[in-house]
Amino acid sequence: MKKATTISWVVLILFTIISAILSGVETSYMAIMILGLAVLKFIGVAFEFMELKKAHWVWQLSLLSFLAIFTAIVLAMM
Amino acid sequence: MNTAITDNKNIFYPPGGILLWIIIFIELITFGAGLISMIYYGNQEPDSFHSSRSLLNASIGMANTIILLTSGFFMALSVKELKVNNQKRTKQYLLLTMLLGSMFLVLKLVEYSAKIDSGLVFGYNTFFNFYWMLTIFHFLHVLVGLVILISLYFGIRKEQSKTTIGDFESGAAFWHMCDLIWLLLFPIIYLIN
Repeated sequence: MKKATTISWVVLILFTIISAILSGVETSYMAIMILGLAVLKFIGVAFEFMELKKAHWVWQLSLLSFLAIFTAIVLAMM
Repeated sequence: MNTAITDNKNIFYPPGGILLWIIIFIELITFGAGLISMIYYGNQEPDSFHSSRSLLNASIGMANTIILLTSGFFMALSVKELKVNNQKRTKQYLLLTMLLGSMFLVLKLVEYSAKIDSGLVFGYNTFFNFYWMLTIFHFLHVLVGLVILISLYFGIRKEQSKTTIGDFESGAAFWHMCDLIWLLLFPIIYLIN
Protein backbone atom coordinates (compact mmCIF):
# COMPACT_ATOMS: atom_id res chain seq x y z
CA MET A 1 0.00 0.00 0.00
CA LYS A 2 2.78 2.40 1.00
CA LYS A 3 4.81 1.18 -1.97
CA ALA A 4 2.08 2.25 -4.41
CA THR A 5 1.89 5.67 -2.73
CA THR A 6 5.67 6.08 -2.93
CA ILE A 7 5.77 5.07 -6.61
CA SER A 8 2.94 7.54 -7.32
CA TRP A 9 4.88 10.31 -5.59
CA VAL A 10 8.04 9.59 -7.63
CA VAL A 11 6.02 9.61 -10.86
CA LEU A 12 4.31 12.87 -9.87
CA ILE A 13 7.66 14.55 -9.24
CA LEU A 14 9.03 13.24 -12.56
CA PHE A 15 5.98 14.56 -14.42
CA THR A 16 6.43 17.96 -12.76
CA ILE A 17 10.07 18.16 -13.88
CA ILE A 18 9.16 17.03 -17.42
CA SER A 19 6.42 19.72 -17.54
CA ALA A 20 8.93 22.40 -16.58
CA ILE A 21 11.39 21.18 -19.25
CA LEU A 22 8.64 21.04 -21.89
CA SER A 23 7.58 24.62 -21.13
CA GLY A 24 10.93 25.77 -22.52
CA VAL A 25 10.49 23.87 -25.79
CA GLU A 26 8.96 25.76 -28.69
CA THR A 27 6.60 23.21 -30.27
CA SER A 28 2.96 23.43 -31.19
CA TYR A 29 2.20 20.40 -29.02
CA MET A 30 3.85 21.86 -25.90
CA ALA A 31 0.58 23.04 -24.35
CA ILE A 32 -1.17 19.71 -25.00
CA MET A 33 1.71 17.74 -23.48
CA ILE A 34 1.92 19.96 -20.37
CA LEU A 35 -1.84 19.79 -19.91
CA GLY A 36 -1.78 16.02 -20.40
CA LEU A 37 0.84 15.64 -17.68
CA ALA A 38 -1.19 17.90 -15.38
CA VAL A 39 -4.25 15.69 -15.96
CA LEU A 40 -2.25 12.56 -15.10
CA LYS A 41 -0.90 14.22 -11.96
CA PHE A 42 -4.41 15.27 -10.95
CA ILE A 43 -5.62 11.67 -11.35
CA GLY A 44 -2.60 10.37 -9.40
CA VAL A 45 -3.25 12.66 -6.42
CA ALA A 46 -7.01 12.02 -6.42
CA PHE A 47 -6.93 8.24 -6.80
CA GLU A 48 -3.79 7.39 -4.82
CA PHE A 49 -3.28 10.13 -2.21
CA MET A 50 -6.99 10.87 -1.63
CA GLU A 51 -7.82 7.16 -1.94
CA LEU A 52 -10.54 7.83 -4.46
CA LYS A 53 -9.74 4.38 -5.85
CA LYS A 54 -11.46 2.99 -2.76
CA ALA A 55 -14.55 5.18 -3.17
CA HIS A 56 -17.86 4.39 -4.87
CA TRP A 57 -17.64 4.57 -8.67
CA VAL A 58 -20.01 7.57 -8.75
CA TRP A 59 -17.36 9.72 -7.02
CA GLN A 60 -14.65 8.45 -9.33
CA LEU A 61 -16.78 9.13 -12.40
CA SER A 62 -17.76 12.59 -11.12
CA LEU A 63 -14.16 13.68 -10.66
CA LEU A 64 -13.06 12.25 -13.99
CA SER A 65 -16.02 13.97 -15.68
CA PHE A 66 -15.03 17.32 -14.19
CA LEU A 67 -11.47 16.78 -15.38
CA ALA A 68 -12.57 15.75 -18.88
CA ILE A 69 -14.90 18.75 -19.27
CA PHE A 70 -12.32 21.20 -17.92
CA THR A 71 -9.55 19.82 -20.16
CA ALA A 72 -11.82 19.81 -23.23
CA ILE A 73 -12.80 23.45 -22.67
CA VAL A 74 -9.17 24.51 -22.12
CA LEU A 75 -7.99 22.66 -25.26
CA ALA A 76 -10.86 24.08 -27.33
CA MET A 77 -9.91 27.61 -26.27
CA MET A 78 -6.20 27.25 -27.03
CA MET B 1 -8.94 7.59 19.82
CA ASN B 2 -11.74 6.17 17.69
CA THR B 3 -10.08 4.11 14.96
CA ALA B 4 -13.24 2.63 13.42
CA ILE B 5 -12.82 2.52 9.63
CA THR B 6 -15.81 3.27 7.39
CA ASP B 7 -16.68 1.44 4.19
CA ASN B 8 -15.65 3.90 1.47
CA LYS B 9 -17.40 1.84 -1.21
CA ASN B 10 -20.67 3.14 0.22
CA ILE B 11 -21.73 6.11 -1.94
CA PHE B 12 -22.44 8.21 1.19
CA TYR B 13 -18.98 7.67 2.68
CA PRO B 14 -16.23 8.69 0.25
CA PRO B 15 -12.78 9.03 1.91
CA GLY B 16 -12.95 12.34 3.77
CA GLY B 17 -16.73 12.44 3.95
CA ILE B 18 -19.53 13.43 1.60
CA LEU B 19 -19.68 17.06 2.76
CA LEU B 20 -16.00 17.60 2.08
CA TRP B 21 -16.32 16.09 -1.38
CA ILE B 22 -19.18 18.47 -2.17
CA ILE B 23 -16.87 21.32 -1.08
CA ILE B 24 -14.06 19.88 -3.22
CA PHE B 25 -16.28 19.87 -6.31
CA ILE B 26 -17.48 23.43 -5.64
CA GLU B 27 -13.86 24.58 -5.24
CA LEU B 28 -12.69 22.78 -8.38
CA ILE B 29 -15.54 24.28 -10.41
CA THR B 30 -14.81 27.76 -9.02
CA PHE B 31 -11.08 27.62 -9.76
CA GLY B 32 -11.79 25.90 -13.08
CA ALA B 33 -14.11 28.75 -14.10
CA GLY B 34 -11.44 31.26 -13.05
CA LEU B 35 -8.81 29.53 -15.18
CA ILE B 36 -11.13 29.27 -18.18
CA SER B 37 -11.84 33.02 -17.85
CA MET B 38 -8.10 33.63 -17.73
CA ILE B 39 -7.59 31.69 -20.97
CA TYR B 40 -10.50 33.58 -22.57
CA TYR B 41 -8.94 36.95 -21.71
CA GLY B 42 -5.55 35.60 -22.76
CA ASN B 43 -7.00 35.03 -26.23
CA GLN B 44 -8.20 38.66 -26.28
CA GLU B 45 -4.80 40.06 -25.24
CA PRO B 46 -2.23 37.44 -26.35
CA ASP B 47 0.82 39.76 -26.44
CA SER B 48 0.15 41.19 -22.99
CA PHE B 49 -0.38 37.71 -21.51
CA HIS B 50 2.72 36.33 -23.22
CA SER B 51 4.98 39.09 -21.96
CA SER B 52 3.42 39.07 -18.49
CA ARG B 53 3.82 35.30 -18.14
CA SER B 54 7.51 35.64 -18.96
CA LEU B 55 7.81 37.88 -15.86
CA LEU B 56 6.78 34.98 -13.62
CA ASN B 57 9.36 32.76 -12.00
CA ALA B 58 8.49 29.26 -13.27
CA SER B 59 11.31 27.77 -11.16
CA ILE B 60 9.57 28.93 -7.97
CA GLY B 61 6.31 27.57 -9.37
CA MET B 62 7.93 24.20 -10.05
CA ALA B 63 9.60 24.11 -6.62
CA ASN B 64 6.24 24.87 -5.03
CA THR B 65 4.60 22.08 -7.04
CA ILE B 66 7.21 19.59 -5.81
CA ILE B 67 6.84 20.85 -2.22
CA LEU B 68 3.05 20.57 -2.30
CA LEU B 69 3.09 17.12 -3.93
CA THR B 70 5.60 15.90 -1.33
CA SER B 71 3.49 17.28 1.51
CA GLY B 72 0.50 15.45 -0.01
CA PHE B 73 2.59 12.28 -0.10
CA PHE B 74 3.40 12.56 3.62
CA MET B 75 -0.25 13.35 4.36
CA ALA B 76 -1.30 10.15 2.58
CA LEU B 77 1.29 8.17 4.57
CA SER B 78 0.06 9.77 7.79
CA VAL B 79 -3.51 8.59 7.10
CA LYS B 80 -2.25 5.07 6.34
CA GLU B 81 -0.27 4.96 9.62
CA LEU B 82 -3.27 6.19 11.59
CA LYS B 83 -5.38 3.38 10.15
CA VAL B 84 -2.95 0.82 11.58
CA ASN B 85 -2.90 2.81 14.83
CA ASN B 86 0.77 3.80 14.59
CA GLN B 87 0.48 7.10 16.44
CA LYS B 88 4.18 7.91 16.42
CA ARG B 89 4.56 7.60 12.64
CA THR B 90 1.23 9.38 12.08
CA LYS B 91 2.47 12.41 14.00
CA GLN B 92 5.89 12.36 12.30
CA TYR B 93 4.36 12.32 8.83
CA LEU B 94 1.84 14.97 9.81
CA LEU B 95 4.63 17.22 11.06
CA LEU B 96 6.48 16.76 7.75
CA THR B 97 3.27 17.62 5.90
CA MET B 98 2.88 20.83 7.90
CA LEU B 99 6.55 21.74 7.48
CA LEU B 100 6.30 21.42 3.70
CA GLY B 101 2.98 23.29 3.67
CA SER B 102 4.67 26.14 5.55
CA MET B 103 7.55 26.06 3.05
CA PHE B 104 5.04 26.44 0.24
CA LEU B 105 3.57 29.53 1.88
CA VAL B 106 7.01 31.06 2.58
CA LEU B 107 8.11 30.51 -1.02
CA LYS B 108 4.86 32.03 -2.25
CA LEU B 109 5.44 35.08 -0.05
CA VAL B 110 8.96 35.43 -1.50
CA GLU B 111 7.43 35.33 -4.99
CA TYR B 112 4.73 37.86 -4.05
CA SER B 113 7.31 40.15 -2.51
CA ALA B 114 9.37 40.15 -5.73
CA LYS B 115 6.27 40.90 -7.78
CA ILE B 116 5.24 43.78 -5.52
CA ASP B 117 8.80 45.22 -5.60
CA SER B 118 8.65 45.13 -9.41
CA GLY B 119 5.31 46.94 -9.41
CA LEU B 120 3.47 43.90 -10.78
CA VAL B 121 0.57 44.38 -8.40
CA PHE B 122 -3.16 43.72 -8.73
CA GLY B 123 -4.43 46.18 -11.36
CA TYR B 124 -1.17 46.20 -13.37
CA ASN B 125 -2.85 44.36 -16.25
CA THR B 126 -5.43 41.64 -16.88
CA PHE B 127 -2.89 38.81 -16.60
CA PHE B 128 -1.70 39.94 -13.19
CA ASN B 129 -5.28 40.50 -12.02
CA PHE B 130 -5.91 36.81 -12.67
CA TYR B 131 -2.51 35.83 -11.25
CA TRP B 132 -3.17 37.59 -7.95
CA MET B 133 -6.81 36.58 -7.69
CA LEU B 134 -6.26 32.87 -8.34
CA THR B 135 -2.99 32.41 -6.47
CA ILE B 136 -4.02 34.45 -3.40
CA PHE B 137 -7.29 32.50 -3.23
CA HIS B 138 -5.25 29.27 -3.36
CA PHE B 139 -2.76 30.64 -0.80
CA LEU B 140 -5.65 31.22 1.61
CA HIS B 141 -6.83 27.64 1.09
CA VAL B 142 -3.37 26.31 1.97
CA LEU B 143 -3.35 28.56 5.05
CA VAL B 144 -6.74 27.21 6.16
CA GLY B 145 -5.52 23.66 5.41
CA LEU B 146 -2.50 24.25 7.62
CA VAL B 147 -4.72 25.44 10.49
CA ILE B 148 -6.82 22.27 10.08
CA LEU B 149 -3.67 20.08 10.17
CA ILE B 150 -2.37 21.86 13.28
CA SER B 151 -5.72 21.28 14.97
CA LEU B 152 -5.60 17.58 13.96
CA TYR B 153 -2.05 17.27 15.26
CA PHE B 154 -2.99 18.59 18.69
CA GLY B 155 -6.22 16.55 18.53
CA ILE B 156 -4.47 13.20 18.10
CA ARG B 157 -1.77 14.05 20.67
CA LYS B 158 -4.26 13.83 23.54
CA GLU B 159 -4.48 10.57 25.46
CA GLN B 160 -8.29 10.52 25.35
CA SER B 161 -8.58 12.01 21.89
CA LYS B 162 -12.04 12.46 20.39
CA THR B 163 -10.53 12.85 16.91
CA THR B 164 -11.76 10.06 14.64
CA ILE B 165 -10.20 8.61 11.50
CA GLY B 166 -13.08 10.27 9.66
CA ASP B 167 -11.99 13.70 11.01
CA PHE B 168 -8.41 12.96 10.04
CA GLU B 169 -9.40 11.84 6.54
CA SER B 170 -11.49 15.00 6.09
CA GLY B 171 -8.51 17.18 7.00
CA ALA B 172 -6.33 15.14 4.64
CA ALA B 173 -8.88 15.45 1.82
CA PHE B 174 -8.93 19.25 2.27
CA TRP B 175 -5.14 19.29 2.11
CA HIS B 176 -5.10 17.16 -1.06
CA MET B 177 -7.71 19.48 -2.56
CA CYS B 178 -5.13 22.30 -2.30
CA ASP B 179 -2.82 19.99 -4.29
CA LEU B 180 -5.45 19.35 -6.95
CA ILE B 181 -6.18 23.06 -7.37
CA TRP B 182 -2.47 23.88 -7.65
CA LEU B 183 -2.01 21.16 -10.29
CA LEU B 184 -4.52 23.05 -12.45
CA LEU B 185 -3.16 26.53 -11.65
CA PHE B 186 0.54 25.82 -12.18
CA PRO B 187 0.55 24.83 -15.88
CA ILE B 188 -2.04 27.40 -16.98
CA ILE B 189 -0.64 30.38 -15.09
CA TYR B 190 3.09 29.63 -15.27
CA LEU B 191 3.85 27.32 -18.17
CA ILE B 192 1.47 27.37 -21.12
CA ASN B 193 1.84 30.32 -23.47
